[in-house]
Amino acid sequence: MGLTNTPSDLLPGTLELLILKALSHGPKHGYGIVEHLRLASDDVLQVGESALYPALQRILVNGWASAEWGASENNRRARFYTLTAAGRRQLAAERAEFERMVGGIQGVLRTT
Amino acid sequence: MRPLLRRLWFRLTESRRDADLREEIETHRQLRQAQLERDGLSPAAAADLSRRALGNVTLAREDARDTWSAAWIESAAQDLRIALRGLRKSRTFTLVAVATLALGIGANTALFSIFNSLLLRQLPVREPERLALLDRGSFTYPIWEAFEANTGAVFDGAFAWAAGEFDLSPGGLTDPMPGAYVSGRFFDVLGVSPALGRLIGPGDDRLDGNAGVAVISYRAWRERFDGAPTIVGTAISVNRHPFTVVGVMPPGFAGLEVGRTADVVIPMAAEPILRGADSALRHRTAWWLQIMGRLKSGVTLTQANAALRAVQPAIRDASKPERESHFLEEPFTLVPAATGRSPLRRTFETPLRAMLATVGAVLLIACANLTNLLVGRALARRRELSVRLALGASRWRMARLLAFETVVLVVGGALLGLLFARWSSAILVQQLSTWRGAVMLDLTLDWRVLAFTIGIGAATAIVAGLLPAFTVTGVAPGDALKDSARTIAGDRRLSLRGALVVAQLALSLLLVVGAGLFLRTFGALTRVPLGFEPAPLSVVRIDLSSAGVSADDRPALLERIHHAVSAAPGVQSSSLSVITPITGSGWNEYVGGASDEGRRPQAWINAVTPDWFATMGIRQLAGRTFDRGDRVGGAPVAIVNEMFVGRFLPGGSPVGRRLHIGKPTDGTDYEIVGVVSDAVYKSLREGVLPTMYLPLAQEKRIGQGIGLTVKAGGTRGATDRVVADALHEVDPGLSFSFVDFDQFKQAGMTQERLVALLSAFFGGLALLLAAVGLYGIVAHAVDVRRTEIGLRMALGAGRTGILWLVFRRVGVLLLLGLGAGLALSLWASRFVGSLLFQLEPRDATTFAGALVVLVAASILAAWLPARRASLVDPATVLREG
Repeated sequence: MGLTNTPSDLLPGTLELLILKALSHGPKHGYGIVEHLRLASDDVLQVGESALYPALQRILVNGWASAEWGASENNRRARFYTLTAAGRRQLAAERAEFERMVGGIQGVLRTT
Repeated sequence: MRPLLRRLWFRLTESRRDADLREEIETHRQLRQAQLERDGLSPAAAADLSRRALGNVTLAREDARDTWSAAWIESAAQDLRIALRGLRKSRTFTLVAVATLALGIGANTALFSIFNSLLLRQLPVREPERLALLDRGSFTYPIWEAFEANTGAVFDGAFAWAAGEFDLSPGGLTDPMPGAYVSGRFFDVLGVSPALGRLIGPGDDRLDGNAGVAVISYRAWRERFDGAPTIVGTAISVNRHPFTVVGVMPPGFAGLEVGRTADVVIPMAAEPILRGADSALRHRTAWWLQIMGRLKSGVTLTQANAALRAVQPAIRDASKPERESHFLEEPFTLVPAATGRSPLRRTFETPLRAMLATVGAVLLIACANLTNLLVGRALARRRELSVRLALGASRWRMARLLAFETVVLVVGGALLGLLFARWSSAILVQQLSTWRGAVMLDLTLDWRVLAFTIGIGAATAIVAGLLPAFTVTGVAPGDALKDSARTIAGDRRLSLRGALVVAQLALSLLLVVGAGLFLRTFGALTRVPLGFEPAPLSVVRIDLSSAGVSADDRPALLERIHHAVSAAPGVQSSSLSVITPITGSGWNEYVGGASDEGRRPQAWINAVTPDWFATMGIRQLAGRTFDRGDRVGGAPVAIVNEMFVGRFLPGGSPVGRRLHIGKPTDGTDYEIVGVVSDAVYKSLREGVLPTMYLPLAQEKRIGQGIGLTVKAGGTRGATDRVVADALHEVDPGLSFSFVDFDQFKQAGMTQERLVALLSAFFGGLALLLAAVGLYGIVAHAVDVRRTEIGLRMALGAGRTGILWLVFRRVGVLLLLGLGAGLALSLWASRFVGSLLFQLEPRDATTFAGALVVLVAASILAAWLPARRASLVDPATVLREG
């Protein structure tokens, strides 16, 4: 299991997109988001886990999610992130943009 | 916008967030460890793996911290800290720079705030832009009545007022308070609400004797009546008549005359009560009122003027005095009155503008000095800057660094300058007060003054800071590694600083010329020969209406006064006069007679007691003085002065000749019985005027005010007491006040004195700054060229040769600077002609003197570094190099 900091391998901004999508399924804390991404992507995406947190801070600064302290599974204090309305709008926008990008790449790859 | 605010908020709570983040990451790790343990790993292995799974936590925390700050604020704060540190290290430089800036900016702000208060500030009333003043002098009460009746279509409301001085003392020495008579709708039209009680209304301005109400200003309420809440209903004595205070005006409102407060305001209908027989209310020829109105919305000034002129004939007919063919001929002119009315403006507008230009020039010179200093500093830091460049700083960042220093200096200077301005402008305004009354200007900081200060501060920062920031571009990273002291040829950059010094010299010359002109004007004014002896004299201004006698009995009262005072102990002589010299008041009449037909020349009159000339020290040149025979019923006689003789009675002895004074159909024939020496009449500037003296005893009507001039040995205070006692004996209710000719003289010279003071101060300051600037540049040049000088001396140049080298450079700068300055001064001098006295604006002596002063100062400034240059030891220098 190569566990490294890999955000630079992803397209810039993709990490935020993925986090927003993960949050759209309900409030989560950091560990929960990482697990969700791992499971949903079938272990393909392995986010260097502490790299998550700067991204989460950026999301907070931009007002796309709100954070609240709560109790995690092991009864320790953890912050739970909830998607805001603005975050939902941003998710849709970034998703559309991402798909446009991928479509473009695929278009190039299709040409023989 | 919101993200930025959030960033700033996160930045402020940074340490807490950091701790929170650590906890969050630790929780995450523990969850991961628990998961791994469930997958079958041992606790130790799980702990280890979980830690590695997290990746670079430190990096993550730093990245998170980055999102919590706005990077530019951080670097700006850092630049600020570095700038402050740098300035703290060079204490002298900082002190000098901030002091110069404070003086320059402060002086400008002080003068501008006076300018603002006097000329720009709007009255604190409702919609001042809709107010319009009837211009060109004063008007009579009948005119006002006709005006009010006829102008309903133009104005939403109109009112009249007149400034006055009221005596609040019940007897004896006057207790003067500035005030005003106002018509009923005054406060209503202006839209002023009372702070306490009520204000004067139309119901108070009725001529049925119930007009004994008064309103006082907020300042008077607080200072004189101690802010007592029971002020409403209090009785006060105004010119010995009882009035009731019905209200207090709001703070900030003190009448419509800028520079003067109306502390006691009473209805116009009260004027006959106060002045009795001298009342001007019904007189068709007493010009004493100001008229103002609020234009109806939508009516422009031009329309209003047209409408007004249309009704002018009707107004004229209703208020015309009999036997007057030319009356109210000049067309009514309305002018905007948002800034009130001010006789002070006329006196001080030009001087203020001249002073503003002066301090503006001083600020420019200070800026140039600052630029020079900063450039010098930047040059001195070339090594440091090139090291920074070599280490990777961008030029932009370094230029910003230097700019920050300038900004800090300017901000510091501006703040200090504001303080200085508040203090100095208050002092300046105090200087304007004379015996006639205190000058009150509202100098509170308003947006205009603040904007002005910020504006010139910003301009100074840009002008002074731009150049040094540019020098950064000339620095190359490799410079630090080279030993730049080896340049032999000299610095090309010096030419820029040289240009600055030339500008400074030019401006300094301008200011020194100005100072010279104004100082000489003031000097000339003080040396105007008065024609009489003011030193032993005391002047008592008596208000005859305060005595319990009717106007007809005044001559007898005057006689009693004269008798009583002359007999008082210590009094050498005393005399009465209708006009007191150099107080600005005058009385003139047309002189008709044998000499001039067609032209109607005027002479100035005074009615005096026979011993007037002796008391004042005016010499009798021919004929006699007045005697007991010259009284009412006798033949009209007059005594004239030399100038009068020269103008109206040329050829042969004037004694015994007859002259007609007044209009051809009216007026009197006088016989000249004596000639006296010239004396100044109403002001120092106008000096001696053709004067005719009439015997006071022959005057049928005596006005309200009379001047008593007392010549006594002994101290002024003792004399005053003695005279006061004598007057009290004559009539206890008599109200009077003591002044002397020094105060009159001072009042006549206020403007000139202030202008001379300020221009001398700033001229001196400018000279000092320019000299410092010159010194700086010469010192720097000498420093830079030390190697060259050493070489020259080694090759045989003598000390004089080196001195000549340095002074040649100075000479070029001086020539250019003085040339430019001369041209500038010659051009600018035309604007100050009105301020000068007995002096031409292009007075050759003043200009020559200023040139000499500047050359001397420059030589002095350049002497020290030049001497240092000539003392260079060639051997040492060459060994260094």
